[in-house]
Amino acid sequence: MKDVSFFVRKGERIAILGHNGSGKSTLVKILGGLVEPDEGSCLVEGVDMQNMEFRDLRGKLGMVFQDPENQIVAAMVEDDVAFAPENQGLPSDEIQQRVDSALARVNMTHKQDSSVEALSGGEKQRVALAGALAAKVECLILDEATAMLDPKGRMDIEKTLREIHGEGMTIIQVTHQIEAENFDDIERVIVLSKGGVIWNGETSEFWSKAEELGFNVPDEFKIKKFFADSKVDFATADFSHVKSMFSSELRHEDAGHEVKFSVEGLSFRYDEKNFALRNLDVKIYAGQWLSIIGRTGSGKSTFVQHLNALYKIQSGDIFFDGQSLPQKGNELYGLRQRVGLVFQHPEDQLFSATVKEELSFAPKNAGFKGADLDNAVSYGLECVGLNESFFERNPLALSGGERRLVAIASVLATRPECVVLDEPLAGLDASYQKKILTMLGSLRDSGKTIITITHDINVALNCSDRILILRNGGKITECPPSEAIEEIMNILEPEAWPDVLRASAEIRKLNKDFPLLYNYQDFIKCFSQT
Amino acid sequence: MFLSNVSFGQYVPTGSVIHKLDPRAKLFSLLVIVSAIFPARDFFQLAFWVAALAVLVRLSKISWRVLLKAAQPVFFLVAFTFIFNLAAAYFTGDFAQATYRAFFTSIRLIVLMMFAIMLPLTTAPLELADGLDSLFRPFERIGFPAHECSMMIGMALRFIPLLMHEADKIMKAQLSRGAKLDQGNLFQRVMAFFPVLIPLFIIIFRRADEIAVAMEARGYDGGEGRTRRKPLIWSLNDTKAIVIAALAAGVFFVI
Repeated sequence: MKDVSFFVRKGERIAILGHNGSGKSTLVKILGGLVEPDEGSCLVEGVDMQNMEFRDLRGKLGMVFQDPENQIVAAMVEDDVAFAPENQGLPSDEIQQRVDSALARVNMTHKQDSSVEALSGGEKQRVALAGALAAKVECLILDEATAMLDPKGRMDIEKTLREIHGEGMTIIQVTHQIEAENFDDIERVIVLSKGGVIWNGETSEFWSKAEELGFNVPDEFKIKKFFADSKVDFATADFSHVKSMFSSELRHEDAGHEVKFSVEGLSFRYDEKNFALRNLDVKIYAGQWLSIIGRTGSGKSTFVQHLNALYKIQSGDIFFDGQSLPQKGNELYGLRQRVGLVFQHPEDQLFSATVKEELSFAPKNAGFKGADLDNAVSYGLECVGLNESFFERNPLALSGGERRLVAIASVLATRPECVVLDEPLAGLDASYQKKILTMLGSLRDSGKTIITITHDINVALNCSDRILILRNGGKITECPPSEAIEEIMNILEPEAWPDVLRASAEIRKLNKDFPLLYNYQDFIKCFSQT
Repeated sequence: MFLSNVSFGQYVPTGSVIHKLDPRAKLFSLLVIVSAIFPARDFFQLAFWVAALAVLVRLSKISWRVLLKAAQPVFFLVAFTFIFNLAAAYFTGDFAQATYRAFFTSIRLIVLMMFAIMLPLTTAPLELADGLDSLFRPFERIGFPAHECSMMIGMALRFIPLLMHEADKIMKAQLSRGAKLDQGNLFQRVMAFFPVLIPLFIIIFRRADEIAVAMEARGYDGGEGRTRRKPLIWSLNDTKAIVIAALAAGVFFVI
């Protein structure tokens, strides 16, 4: 960090934006009084943090971090929320009061006697939020606090933040992107880059600059702007010709694609009572990109872990290229070479001293030697668009985005025919997300079968050829994106729909000729001809 | 086959009488019971302790299935002792006597560990830490870091399940990259675990760092000046519990 100065008013809600590696994590720690700056100072209500009593400071600033698991210290919800007031040395009855009101504030009173283990990710993060509120802080600092949550969990946190901000809480939100659901509420934006402030101003002015500064502009904002510039009367406008524009426009025809995986009646359970998968029938086509969507616990991960036989088939069948999926022995290792599986946060699984060694791991296991091995390693690196100067570098010293690419490359090195990725975009900033999506698109075009698990409906609809929707371990539907829209609208609340879909659904309410769309370009096209 | 099936004595809240006991009472009773089981010499004594365990499990409303699952890692240890005992007997002669002893030692170990596992199953980690803290307190005078040690044990219990989950995920990821974790001789197998252990240690250190920061952010500054939402209050039931444990243990010392 170098020469950073800014102020935050009491009761203000600001966002500090920065890409991976912009120095925002350091700034969070300094703002939170957890790290002392080398030079300069950080003042709270005119007093330098370094001159404040530890207890006074901690009673003013509350913090919520990215991973709820790393903040919750107790096994039971109430015990955890009590942690901060206990540290403040309050009497027992006052601690209990603080706990009760903090849990009520985040709408978790009904879970007060629950064990933390039994909560969803979003609920855990609300407990972490209550844990900060219980210290009766006046300012909350959130460090990517919603980055690991699913859309539902994110919306719940967002709702709570809006309420406590309305009650006068100062909120500083540090993040790599502004989500559509909260940009109305954030008053000011500060953009960090390479350890310095490069922009500081009102949110309304930020959006016109956003693209220039390297941030995605949410579709919702573009739509609002579009209608602000051109007034359209939806009820009377004629959209009758628009419908035909899209019905003929199927991007990837199914005809001519062979079946890669045929899953027949697959069921799986971890214990006697709970089925993780129920009688699943799915065909996955070669050379196509399948997105699997569904809520947490819908069986997505369990399903894909069957495809390379990490889970053994309990009942039902899976055929791979028409052959029964091998479950053991040497054929199993052959399968794992042909079906590459990239786990969530694959960068956490790197272990080698150099990128080259890391990339050699899978090919070596698959029996590659000599020139074949070298080719495999180069191929992997080339797929993810990194050059050979990375070979001798230490994976742990790379940036988060680069580590993710190396981890994916290490799976691609064996030239698998089919690549399965669990949430490949999680936690990445816009530029790396784009890189990975482009890479997956070109792998698909080169003939590989791509399967991704994603909670980003926008990505599923706009990038993949087919969508599989799971719920409670069962299949809801498996079809091209355009046909999946109605099911998506059925199973998700409107706030979780892609922005364009939400807007087009609203217009459709006024004019039934308007099609349900998910692509911003298509959306704009509808109006260019009226 | 995967590790997430193992629970390693994770807290199971049921709200039973046993759960509500003061952690100090539970720690003390456990100490008494363990020291009584150790010198047990015949199957009659063991049968008594098995019955006592059954009563305890019943009172705690924890199902045997959960207890046995939590005790799973112990069974490996037991199997090891059993085989070791038998092997030793093979060299010393008297096989019948040794088999009996191997059986006896194994069962004693199982009963012992089951009692021990009941403690974390019925006591929330931080509560257990509180209990240890106040039991260790007298040793602070001779420079023993009582609060730090008990907090450490409490945190370890809290985060073990999470780390098991991480280990499981890393294992699956390396298997997906073709790692052969269950093939070859002992040396090869041990070497094959490095791709699992290295990332696991990195994750442990990173988590430890983040947890420490989050704790400080919530005003944790060591045990000094910390109060409790539910301070440890010794009740009649706690006295009863240690008296029952002491009497049960005492009977056999007398005999």
